[in-house]
Amino acid sequence: MAIGATHIDHIVISSNNSGAVAQTFADNLGIEIKRKMIRPGTSAQLAFAKLQEVVLEFAGPPQVNPDEEVKAKLWGMVLAVEDIDAAVADLRSKGYTVGDPTKAVQPGAKIATVKGGTSGVPFAMIQYNALPIEGASA
Amino acid sequence: MLTKIHHVGVVVHNADEAMKFYRDALGLKVTADRVIEDQGVRGVLLEIGGSEIELLEPTREDTGVAKFLATRGEGMHHICFESDDVDAELDGARAKGIELIDQKPRLGLAGMICFLHPKSNHGVLVEFATPVKDGHGH
Repeated sequence: MAIGATHIDHIVISSNNSGAVAQTFADNLGIEIKRKMIRPGTSAQLAFAKLQEVVLEFAGPPQVNPDEEVKAKLWGMVLAVEDIDAAVADLRSKGYTVGDPTKAVQPGAKIATVKGGTSGVPFAMIQYNALPIEGASA
Repeated sequence: MLTKIHHVGVVVHNADEAMKFYRDALGLKVTADRVIEDQGVRGVLLEIGGSEIELLEPTREDTGVAKFLATRGEGMHHICFESDDVDAELDGARAKGIELIDQKPRLGLAGMICFLHPKSNHGVLVEFATPVKDGHGH
């Protein structure tokens, strides 16, 4: 049985200055930065672009040192799945260590991280519409 | 115009080992698997939604992929954006003064491809690709 992955949901580009890296991608590649936010809890600075179904997430620390050279790297990826509980159970049955699904930053979504066995790629799975969206009427 | 994420490249020690996760555990379909002699790599493309994951196993020690593996270990290596016209993308990048690796497009696993120098994007290696009609540059 497969995990029911539908697409790459997002690719994370980690850096010491997410705003500068996002702007460079916008300038060089013509992609549009659609959203910026501070991640709740960690205060990481995030910026997002989207090409069809895949989100590029530019992640950086809360504080930027303007004297430091901007450095970035491709960090990890997240696949969208239809049923995260089933996907987690499936991978665990195959011997992979997978964290329990937790509430994601994205409204209504749950996310679970695969720990090891991914060829060095920080890897997670996300299911949208897995939780009621707070503040939304029933 | 860049239309979507064509693939993300992941450098691995052994593509067969890596496929235990990406093909066997995740259930992704292999759409191409071949050795690209002039680049000294075995490339495996696995389909996920409208994009792909490309596993890259070096077949020689004197290549960029082999050096990446030796210095950084396994992990995400590059991101490839699809375009209808890779020549136009390359010309546009050149006109912006972006440092290039390839001065003209060449045939690769994803079709006609070219790479921008990672210095241009704060260390992130970016590829442009225009798939060829018979698929994956075969």
